[in-house]
Amino acid sequence: MFVKVLYFGRLKEITGSSEESVEVRDGERIEELFARCSSSRPELRKFRSSLVAARNRELAAWDATLSGGDEVGFLPPVSGG
Amino acid sequence: MTASHSPDRIELTREIIPDAAIAREVRADEDGAVATFDGCVRNHSHGRSTLYLEYEAYESMALAKMREIAESVHDRFAINRVAIIHRLGRLEIGETSVFIAVSAAHRAAAFDACRYAIDTLKKTVPIWKKEFFADGAVWADGEIPPSPAAAETPAAKPASN
Repeated sequence: MFVKVLYFGRLKEITGSSEESVEVRDGERIEELFARCSSSRPELRKFRSSLVAARNRELAAWDATLSGGDEVGFLPPVSGG
Repeated sequence: MTASHSPDRIELTREIIPDAAIAREVRADEDGAVATFDGCVRNHSHGRSTLYLEYEAYESMALAKMREIAESVHDRFAINRVAIIHRLGRLEIGETSVFIAVSAAHRAAAFDACRYAIDTLKKTVPIWKKEFFADGAVWADGEIPPSPAAAETPAAKPASN
């Protein structure tokens, strides 16, 4: 199954794209998805401790499990205002 | 909680924010106060001269979070209407990046709600600011939104949508 992954701010500059479709296994957790996405981009891993994850536009725990078609965003610290 | 807050105005925009019009719009005959917050682009950051800013957002989630803030403001304070507008894209020094207006029968609720709305926006809404200087650019230090605690077991916590 596939999920849509979104990158913002400095993460988008590292990946070079704002979104990608990623194949995950059934029941995969967001933490595992992040490891998958950062395996070829070690630069991403450096930011892990400051990120929060969103699943389908709601903040989600890193151990939340994924379903096909989910939209997952990796969000750096927010600085609106 | 009232059934509907349809006069509320929650937007992301790439245009100049019509602050005066919005401040007028939230006001109704039963109101005795309108409190506004105008967040604007400062010409300096951490001792460096800022040239301009760029804002980007996770737009669908940002709008959802801004609507949640409006609902929460209605629940917590005796106010009438609220408007929350955030601008995206490139902003020049002195331009308004975020504008909040709250109307209420009395000033205390209007002030308190306005303060709560901007403080909550800065902590929870997925918007990011990049600061451009003469000698480079940086993503602004931000706040880590409070995220849900880890689920005890994967099955114990249903999706919270």
